[in-house]
Amino acid sequence: MSRSHLFPLALALCAVSSGRLGAAPPGVGERHPDFTLADIANDKPVSLSDFRGKKVLLIQFASW
Amino acid sequence: MKDGKLVLLGVTQEQHPERCRLFAQWKQFEWPILHDPINVLESTAVPIVVALDEHGIVRSTRPNPKTFEADFLNKSFADDAKNKPERLGPSHPPKFDALKADAEKTKSAAAWRQYGDALVLWGSEKQLPTAIAAYREATKAKPDDGAAWFRLGVCFRRRSETSARHTDDFRAAVEAWGTALDLDPNQYIWRRRIQQYGPRLDKPYPFYDWVAEAEAAVRKRGETPVILPVRPDGAEIAQPSKVFAAQKDVPKNPDPKGKITRDKGSVSCEVVVVPVAVKPGQSARIHLTFRLAPKTTDHWNNEAEPLRVWIDPPDGIVASQQLVEAEKPKAATSTEGRTVGFEVQILKDASGTIHIPVYALYHVCDDAQGQCRFRRLDVSVQLKVK
Repeated sequence: MSRSHLFPLALALCAVSSGRLGAAPPGVGERHPDFTLADIANDKPVSLSDFRGKKVLLIQFASW
Repeated sequence: MKDGKLVLLGVTQEQHPERCRLFAQWKQFEWPILHDPINVLESTAVPIVVALDEHGIVRSTRPNPKTFEADFLNKSFADDAKNKPERLGPSHPPKFDALKADAEKTKSAAAWRQYGDALVLWGSEKQLPTAIAAYREATKAKPDDGAAWFRLGVCFRRRSETSARHTDDFRAAVEAWGTALDLDPNQYIWRRRIQQYGPRLDKPYPFYDWVAEAEAAVRKRGETPVILPVRPDGAEIAQPSKVFAAQKDVPKNPDPKGKITRDKGSVSCEVVVVPVAVKPGQSARIHLTFRLAPKTTDHWNNEAEPLRVWIDPPDGIVASQQLVEAEKPKAATSTEGRTVGFEVQILKDASGTIHIPVYALYHVCDDAQGQCRFRRLDVSVQLKVK
């Protein structure tokens, strides 16, 4: 997927569902807490810290 | 992305991960999506898009497409976080014994919750009862721990969809979620979990009505759609509505004088009301699941009329339908649980608990003796008024 398609994708996800924004995530300048959850593709554990050294666009969403 | 400079990482906040897998397959997402069924990330809304630099530091909570490259992607950042490193949820591999020991020693709600979280996220289906017990301990230690109540509901719902199901699991899930939402009415994720199974009059959107379209689109591409072990149905695909749809024909009460022989234990009915309690003017969805008695040789007779449910709403209550039929498989016989749903609205001031007379009519046959019976089961539907 090319970078030019990135934001249309993120905006498309915003269109999937909507709600009150901005209540929970850490603020600018704060380190995001690490977490480990299962990849839906293969159930294997993936941690946010696995991506240290790279820039990450973290998208929390739901398919509804 | 392809040059490795940027990673797209998704986290889905829903009960069933396979549905998100189908969604991702449909939309051809090629990036990892992680499953957070118990809201470990403590989100109070979705979607949330956050840009993190190479050190895991948040650099934008609302990335702007026009300035994304200049302000973030092509910029170098110092490791200058304002806060200390933190963690949400259990680590992997899970330390079940240590977490259990800590919970038993400290008896704190947080410790019991951590133990439950590890079991739900990394344990097996057989460990669900242990997770349920852990969350129960958390709610005993801290009755206003909304997060523990929400997780308890997730476990009950998950178990209700397995062969180890307890009869009241779905109802217990709805009650636990209701308790969580009463403690924090602003928790959007918790509210949506209830609304997923709730009435059309309170639905923000249809939730999973896209599934059929997604499966068709995937097949058209020559691919096999992700299999959904638990298919969304009824409430989960119902379109939102401001009013109940008008019924084309006024149905007739199939047994107005109650002459049909009452069932004597061959079929039971689980009643779940979503939400648990409603105010005058509000509506609820009633889920009825009919199951054949275990350890019997009975089966549904699918060559006869389908299972029908007659609803007789009392004064002050309006029902979406008065006669509902359950779907039946094409096979001549089957033994599955059958669920029907309908909705009710309280029209005027009311209080306490309202009894809604409901009965079901169905045909069952006995494999052992080859006898078929047409029976009626009277069902007690209680609607609690806030």
